[in-house]
Amino acid sequence: MTTFVIVLCLVLMVGFALSAAMLRSMLKSAVSLAAMSAALAVILYMMGAVWAALFELSVCVGLITVVFISAISLTTPDRRDEAHTKDHRQRFAALPFILIAAGVALIAVLVSTGFYLPQPGEEAVAEAAFNQVLWQTRQADILGQILILLAGAFAVVVLFKEGRKI
Amino acid sequence: MNILSIAILTAALLLIVTGLYMLVRTHNMIRIIIAVEVAMKAITLLLAYAGWLNGQTALSQAFVVTIIVMEVVVAVVAAGLAISSFRKNGDLDIRRLNKLNG
Repeated sequence: MTTFVIVLCLVLMVGFALSAAMLRSMLKSAVSLAAMSAALAVILYMMGAVWAALFELSVCVGLITVVFISAISLTTPDRRDEAHTKDHRQRFAALPFILIAAGVALIAVLVSTGFYLPQPGEEAVAEAAFNQVLWQTRQADILGQILILLAGAFAVVVLFKEGRKI
Repeated sequence: MNILSIAILTAALLLIVTGLYMLVRTHNMIRIIIAVEVAMKAITLLLAYAGWLNGQTALSQAFVVTIIVMEVVVAVVAAGLAISSFRKNGDLDIRRLNKLNG
């Protein structure tokens, strides 16, 4: 059952990624990206990464989609942009064939070389709790995250700063 | 090799190829951000799978959360750049980004 759900979500992820690339409307592309994130959140949950799934669902499906929709609504395309999007479908017409070729090639390589990965849980070790790992083992990551967030906030303030009137 | 490993590795490769193809084929800044996000989803998937395989889900979750934070910051800053560029140039063409100065 787990395998079936994960494979189904993987198919959905690739499908939504393809639609995000090929759809002409940027709004629909952003919604496709959100749907892809939702499918990834299901996969993370099925793999036992509950907290990561929660973050993926709330931040990537929620926050990033809001950021995209705001950016799209603030940048209403002019005529030149419409002209750019006219050949959009033609530009991405080769993508499905490239994906099929890449997928078939990778599967052929994996099967022919007998590439082996252990089954989930086969090499299980004594696992610490997520909060213990995050707050005790990966403290430097948290510091980095705080600095990245502050840098991002600073960048947004600088980008939207009103210029001085001379 | 089981079907799940093949499916996950193939899906990750396809997502990376899709992201790279979008990056190469478009000049629209919003689409470029979407392309980066698509490729980063593949990395998130592979990290989570690695943790699941090794039985170290907590450690992989810590990395995934870090990646999600980075995704948000990249998306917000890049969207801000896109909006600034649009206000200055009237379109979202990344080739005109060098006109942003000051």
